[in-house]
Amino acid sequence: MIRHLFTLIWNKKRTHALLLIEILASFLVLFGVTSLIIYNFRNYAEPVGFNYQNRWAISMDWGDMPDSVSYPLRQQLKQRVLAYPQVIAASISSGNYPFSNSTSNGRPRYNGVQFNVFNYFVDPDYAKTLEMAVLEGRWYDRADESTVVPQVVVTRDLIDKVFGKGQPGVGKLLINDEDKKDKKRIIGVVGNFKQDGEFSPTTSCIFYRASKTDWSNVLLVQVQPGTDAAFEGNMMRELGQMVKGWNLEVSYLADQRVSKQRFTLVPMIIFLVVSTFLLINVALGLFGVLNVSITRRRGEIGLRRALGATEGSISRQFVGEIWVLATFALVLGLILAAQFPLMNVFDLDASVYLTAMVVSVLVIYLIVTLCALYPSRQAATIQPATALHEE
Amino acid sequence: MISLNNIEKVYRTSSIETLALANINLHIKAGEFVSIMGPSGCGKSTLLNLMGLLDEPSRGTVEVGGQVVTQYRDKELARLRNQNIGFIFQSFHLINDLSVLDNVEIPLLYRKGDSTGPSRRKLAEEALERVGLSNRMKHFPNQLSGGQKQRVAIARAIVGRPSIILADEPTGNLDSAMGNEIMNILQGLNTDGATIVMVTHDETMAKKTHRLVRLFDGSMVGDSILMSNA
Repeated sequence: MIRHLFTLIWNKKRTHALLLIEILASFLVLFGVTSLIIYNFRNYAEPVGFNYQNRWAISMDWGDMPDSVSYPLRQQLKQRVLAYPQVIAASISSGNYPFSNSTSNGRPRYNGVQFNVFNYFVDPDYAKTLEMAVLEGRWYDRADESTVVPQVVVTRDLIDKVFGKGQPGVGKLLINDEDKKDKKRIIGVVGNFKQDGEFSPTTSCIFYRASKTDWSNVLLVQVQPGTDAAFEGNMMRELGQMVKGWNLEVSYLADQRVSKQRFTLVPMIIFLVVSTFLLINVALGLFGVLNVSITRRRGEIGLRRALGATEGSISRQFVGEIWVLATFALVLGLILAAQFPLMNVFDLDASVYLTAMVVSVLVIYLIVTLCALYPSRQAATIQPATALHEE
Repeated sequence: MISLNNIEKVYRTSSIETLALANINLHIKAGEFVSIMGPSGCGKSTLLNLMGLLDEPSRGTVEVGGQVVTQYRDKELARLRNQNIGFIFQSFHLINDLSVLDNVEIPLLYRKGDSTGPSRRKLAEEALERVGLSNRMKHFPNQLSGGQKQRVAIARAIVGRPSIILADEPTGNLDSAMGNEIMNILQGLNTDGATIVMVTHDETMAKKTHRLVRLFDGSMVGDSILMSNA
């Protein structure tokens, strides 16, 4: 029967061409949206690697003052902030702190592998302030200041890429293949550090110890839960008096996280709405085409009943035909979709595309089945004698 | 082989009730070639539909092979139609999107268990050979003449080797030469043991059968054995 249905649909391919294109187009859109959702969902399932609740970021702009001059003043600000009972921890960091719009990255080649690495210039209190878990080794302490080879803490993702999945990293040297003098010793490994929040992918990061000349212009502060705006006002006023002429601005990491999430969620929702409309359109189209087709094929239905088809087999035939039609479209669609993992488009993991393919195929089959159910039941109830007589 | 006992068939709509057949008692023996004649609208096709289990009588019983089938469920009726009855229609009822061979195969698709793809193909080829169309297997119905189409329909009717063939004006759309050709095939099938019931308007064709049943206004008005053919 399956071969019969394939023959029937294949011989009617011109009649069904538009429908086939419509199913193909909806599959491709659905595949795109599903890939996006799966990609974001997988990212979301991974921990961000730090705590953003009750964390404030005070950005410092010291204008034309040389960095070396501003450095002790920045340290004084940190000490002053730590003196408040409402403050639990504080750390000086480069401007690319969590949820900020600033990034610092490069594509070095380590151990023959070239990949995107995000760099952070931070002080010894960074991990404590953001509650980052050190999985292996340790975070910096003040004793590391005078080492000849810079000591760095890296994310697990970087170790997996350079030394192999699950390999230890502490004590190993990171040597830049393109500049052998560029060496760093790994003293600690942290888990994830997803600067842009839950929806961003796991990244390879290197945390350098900030030097006096680094542009470390953010003071990250962990405050007690429930610390209010009145305290913030007082603190900022006092800090302002300490560094006259500087521009100090405070922002909340939790608020910045929400606005970052919108960047991901809004396009995803728009695509989802467009895709849903397209699928509804296809569903209505299929429903209409099947209804018309059944009306036009009453004679054939009568004939098949006369030749031994039961009501059930007539019903199954129409559902089967639409499955065959969907299969033709999906085979074409899968060939196109398979190019994404094969050609590594958008640099996503192949399993994202493969899962999206499976989900999209199932959704398309589900939709075409739902659309075919009612018309096929109608077809099954056609009285053979009446249908044959009409012909 | 087929018995219709006290059959009455009434078509009802919300406002009209039409008596299509009344008090029909007809018994057809195995191996008979029966023709049914009568003016248009007298109930010939309705009678054939009842014999072919495509319709239910309003009253009375239908027996096929000694079994009363009136209360049979859809599945049982479908199985009986598929295994015991072959249909031939005036307008051929071929599916234009399928090749001649695929059209002939259709009844075998609804036969469970004992037919595989290659065996279906073989049976369909044999049936087409039987009607002299083995050179047209790959053709599509719209590439055939009326006579050829009807021969395809006959091949489809006999592919499942049914014991009963019901033909509804099989020569009605054909010229006399083609009609005779079809009639010869039907006679050959009858000689080989098939029971055939044929509705016709053509007295010449009817005279080639064993028995002639006449209908008028839904009632049987004649049932005669044609001695020259019997």
